[in-house]
Amino acid sequence: MRVFLQLMWFFKQEKWRYLGGIVMLAFVSLGLLVPPKVVGLIVDHIEEGTITEEILWRYAAVLIGIAIGIYVLRYIWRILIFGSAVKLAMLLRNRLYEHFTKKSQEFYHKRRVGDLMAHSTNDLQAIQQTAGDGVLTLVDSLMMGGFTLIAMATTISWKLTLVSLLPLPVMAWATNKYGTMLHKRFHSAQEAFSTLNDKVQESISGTRVIKAFGQERDDIDNFSDLSRDAVKKNMAVARIDSLFDPTISLIIGFSFFLAVSYGSILVTRNELTIGELVSFTSYLGLLIWPMLAFGWLFNIVERGRASYDRVETLLAVKEEIKDDGSIDTSPMGDISFQLEQFSYILNAPVLSDIHFTLKRGQTLGVVGKTGSGKTTLCKLLLREFQLKSKDIIIDDHDICDYKLHALRKAIGYVPQDHFLFSATIAENIAFSKVESPFSEIKEAAELASIHKDITQFKYGYETVVGERGVTLSGGQKQRISIARALIKNPEILILDDSLSAVDAKTEESILQQLKTKRQNQTTIITAHRLSSIAHCDLIIVLENGTIVQRGTHFSLLNEDGWYKETYEKQALETLISEGGVIK
Amino acid sequence: MSEEQEPTLDELQQMKQWSVFKRLMSYTKPHKKRLAFAFILLLVATAAELTGPILVKTFIDDFVTPRNFEQRALVILASGYIALIVISAVVNYFQFVLFQSVALDIIQTLRIQVFTKVHSLGLKFFDRTPVGSLVSRITNDTEAVKDLYVSVLSTFVQNIVFLFGIFGFMFYLNVKLALFCIGILPFIVLIMWLYRKYSSRSFYDMREKLSQLNAKLNESLQGMSIVQVFNQQKRLRKEFAKINQEHTDAQIRNIKYNGLLLRPAVDLVYMLALLMILSFFGIKSFNSPVEIGVIYAFINYLDRFFEPVNMMMMRLSIFQQAIVSAGRVFTVVDEEEFAPINKGNKNPVISSGKIEFKAVSFSYDGEQEVLRDISFTAEPGQTVALVGHTGSGKSSIINLLMRFYEVNKGEILIDDVPLSNFENKELRNKMGLVLQDPFLFVGDIMQNVRLYNQTITDEDVKNATSFVQASPFIERLPEGYQTELGERGATFSSGQRQLISFARTMAFSPTILILDEATANIDTETEEEIQEALRKMRSGRTTIAIAHRLSTIQDAELILVLHKGEIVERGTHQELLRQRGLYHKMFLLQHGKDSMNDVG
Repeated sequence: MRVFLQLMWFFKQEKWRYLGGIVMLAFVSLGLLVPPKVVGLIVDHIEEGTITEEILWRYAAVLIGIAIGIYVLRYIWRILIFGSAVKLAMLLRNRLYEHFTKKSQEFYHKRRVGDLMAHSTNDLQAIQQTAGDGVLTLVDSLMMGGFTLIAMATTISWKLTLVSLLPLPVMAWATNKYGTMLHKRFHSAQEAFSTLNDKVQESISGTRVIKAFGQERDDIDNFSDLSRDAVKKNMAVARIDSLFDPTISLIIGFSFFLAVSYGSILVTRNELTIGELVSFTSYLGLLIWPMLAFGWLFNIVERGRASYDRVETLLAVKEEIKDDGSIDTSPMGDISFQLEQFSYILNAPVLSDIHFTLKRGQTLGVVGKTGSGKTTLCKLLLREFQLKSKDIIIDDHDICDYKLHALRKAIGYVPQDHFLFSATIAENIAFSKVESPFSEIKEAAELASIHKDITQFKYGYETVVGERGVTLSGGQKQRISIARALIKNPEILILDDSLSAVDAKTEESILQQLKTKRQNQTTIITAHRLSSIAHCDLIIVLENGTIVQRGTHFSLLNEDGWYKETYEKQALETLISEGGVIK
Repeated sequence: MSEEQEPTLDELQQMKQWSVFKRLMSYTKPHKKRLAFAFILLLVATAAELTGPILVKTFIDDFVTPRNFEQRALVILASGYIALIVISAVVNYFQFVLFQSVALDIIQTLRIQVFTKVHSLGLKFFDRTPVGSLVSRITNDTEAVKDLYVSVLSTFVQNIVFLFGIFGFMFYLNVKLALFCIGILPFIVLIMWLYRKYSSRSFYDMREKLSQLNAKLNESLQGMSIVQVFNQQKRLRKEFAKINQEHTDAQIRNIKYNGLLLRPAVDLVYMLALLMILSFFGIKSFNSPVEIGVIYAFINYLDRFFEPVNMMMMRLSIFQQAIVSAGRVFTVVDEEEFAPINKGNKNPVISSGKIEFKAVSFSYDGEQEVLRDISFTAEPGQTVALVGHTGSGKSSIINLLMRFYEVNKGEILIDDVPLSNFENKELRNKMGLVLQDPFLFVGDIMQNVRLYNQTITDEDVKNATSFVQASPFIERLPEGYQTELGERGATFSSGQRQLISFARTMAFSPTILILDEATANIDTETEEEIQEALRKMRSGRTTIAIAHRLSTIQDAELILVLHKGEIVERGTHQELLRQRGLYHKMFLLQHGKDSMNDVG
């Protein structure tokens, strides 16, 4: 029940809705007590022969009034209580989302997207259920159960009440017991299903191997076995699950039996009228739901608490990147790296001894093997990780002195994994400048040499891309993400291995255009293909996180080392990919 | 989409839904007997359950009202009542279980059917179907269909029978009042109709908004670094809040419809029916005496009448979900992109292993040719190596030879018999394929070598592993051949995984060997062993090998150099080097200039 305390802030915030809802529930519970009573009274009138048309009309009016009243109240409390629960989920979802937008890459490195999704869907659903069904079952089991018991004991007969309730604890005990058994079996059924899922996943991924070895038949047999096992486990669930209804009706049946037998004795002793006995049996029927609700309540609350704790923990994760700089203006592009060492938390150093200076308008090329630290270098400039002071100086100020948004405003970044959003191409390009006129979008696309490709799509710039849109080639995605960075006309442009999937001719035309367009702006390019960085003012070669060679294309070609070797290798590769004919 | 279009779309949808439903029903046929038995149990249980109130009625009218307590009759009545509730509980239990077991068996049938179907499909199908969605068809969607059988259909059958039973007993008690009670039915049907019309749409709307919400969230999480780098957190928060609000609105709308049309509405009808019954007896009592027991029984039946109605209403939305899922499952069952199978019924046998490609051309999509006019012959025992740049068509040649795809033009012959004449079994037994990525299955090493082929003994497995020189490292493992391979064999080095997959191929002792050499860097420890194993495997077998490292195929009888789907150079290693063409360049690339001095 602790979760209700944890959620108290919300209940307080929505106190009128919750109070209103609870009061209405109370009225509904009271209202539900009326029809059985009316039935009893009419039965007594009929038995005594005292019924008149007027009495009938009066009761009819009462019943209709109660019926409509209950209908209206039920409609309203649902909106009040369930509506509030929905609102709570919405509130928490927005809060989580805001939290996510503030978290640095460090946070995302440690967690899987799938887990974060699970928090935002399953956990929030459980919390919503707690604030809705949880409140309902609590109120209903206490109020409706209580009211009905009081009505039975006070208005009819406390003796009869006691006797007929005798079997009910057995019901509570049995359903509880079934619940535990069901939980276990359900768990193993779920496991069987997930085994089945893994099996299918494996078979489909390994379909070539299975076909090559002609093992289809056997694989099907294996699947059948697993599937049969899943059926068996599900049957085990069904065997317990099917116990619920019969047990409940059996025990209610006994309860009725006791009520009717003992009730008749009381009737013959004139301690009870026959109408009251009829009312009593109806009340007995009304008790079923509160009892079941009580069992259900524990279930909901347990789940809700676990979920709420998880969400709280997630929301409590502190910010790793300190955004406490004071400079609110975006920097220009004088960059100086004075980095002694950088490592991800608790890991071996990723970068060490990186020193270089870049004047505004210059272009830096960074090359080296996969894993040599190229991407980390770019990400430091974006301050995706926390730096020590004076590691990087931009425009004579420590990079940490800039406000994050001011720093990032100056940077156009094209990541290695060209991620596009599920939106139109135009929206993707204008990602950072939503209100851009079409001319600007087109200009950026032309700069990135993607305009022609786009016009060839059926819907042109309105083509929807991303996960749920059309599939683009790697090169097309890269160029759209280049356009997305270029539309900002950034002081600092970072191309992180983002020309790898475009062909040599396109690459050349993009580089050429960047050169003329960005004469007074700083550009950083990392690449595998040396042709991407040959024109740079400064080239550094990274190996194991440190600079092993530096210079210009020509100076590097004149010294033995990684650069020269790679250059020759790549020249040969190009030749081969073109068919190897030198004519 | 215009407003007028919607109804027609809905109607189409409904027609499709109806045919999917009919098709699902056809799966019950093999279980007719069990279903009939379950149905009889259901009738018995329902009858027992509904006879109870009649006994109470008799008790009230014949004993309580006249204050006449004849002990023997009362004992009979009481034990009769208890017997009835016990019988109905027990029979109901078996009836529930029986219905569920039929439902689960049907799902089993459906699952095996779709899985078998998938295995009969060609690689063309797998090329265009993402693994994830296919897996979800076979598991999640069939699971949703399971819910349809287990919690919807069985509930509907049970509750409808129950409703009929109630009416039957009502007619037995009082025909006139029972006729009045039938008057409730149109109201119920009206509510159901309204619910289906409005609430199911708002439910659908809510689901739709939820999936949008989740898609947005998922995408944001994946692209968060972009969002942050481009300073778009605020805008995305706003966008997310908007979808979140829309989802909330849809949920509230759904709550409202449910509040108007579900339980509260059904209960309203209940109250009106109650009023009707009371007035009926009240008015009747003006003229003639009324049996109190009958009133009791009628009210009792009325109470029981509405529980099934509520239950069915609540399950309606599951129904819709399940039908959509079933529709998806059936699209796979109806798929017609079959894997190539043998033509004719001569069942030829591969004995010597001669392979011949005669002017073969091939295209995956029917537009772009990936192989053009490929001709070559591999004599029995020879090795033919395929080299070329990525996308030059090497893998396509192997795909055709394995008969994963059908040749468009030209012909492939094995032992001078067209490839298409061989039975699948013969091809798979005689041709051993070693894939670039050594795909390992969950299970131990023994199982991974033998796969499901029980004719391969433990001894055979050990022979195969020692042949490829994998036994030293396997035997060093604490559990030896029983070592479980973790997820895709992640616990082993790539070289060790290769060796295991070699052993798998050798355990089947193929006549023809098809090798797709690994491109991934294999650890230097095992590199030597792998080369040695490959040499041993090739000796005495016709081998078609894709080589990425030219050093491994220098002794091949024939090397084919492919470029853009055509053979541009052919010959032995020495001949090709002398030509100073593409092969020469590739060799240079891999070995550097220095090594060229040796070969001249």
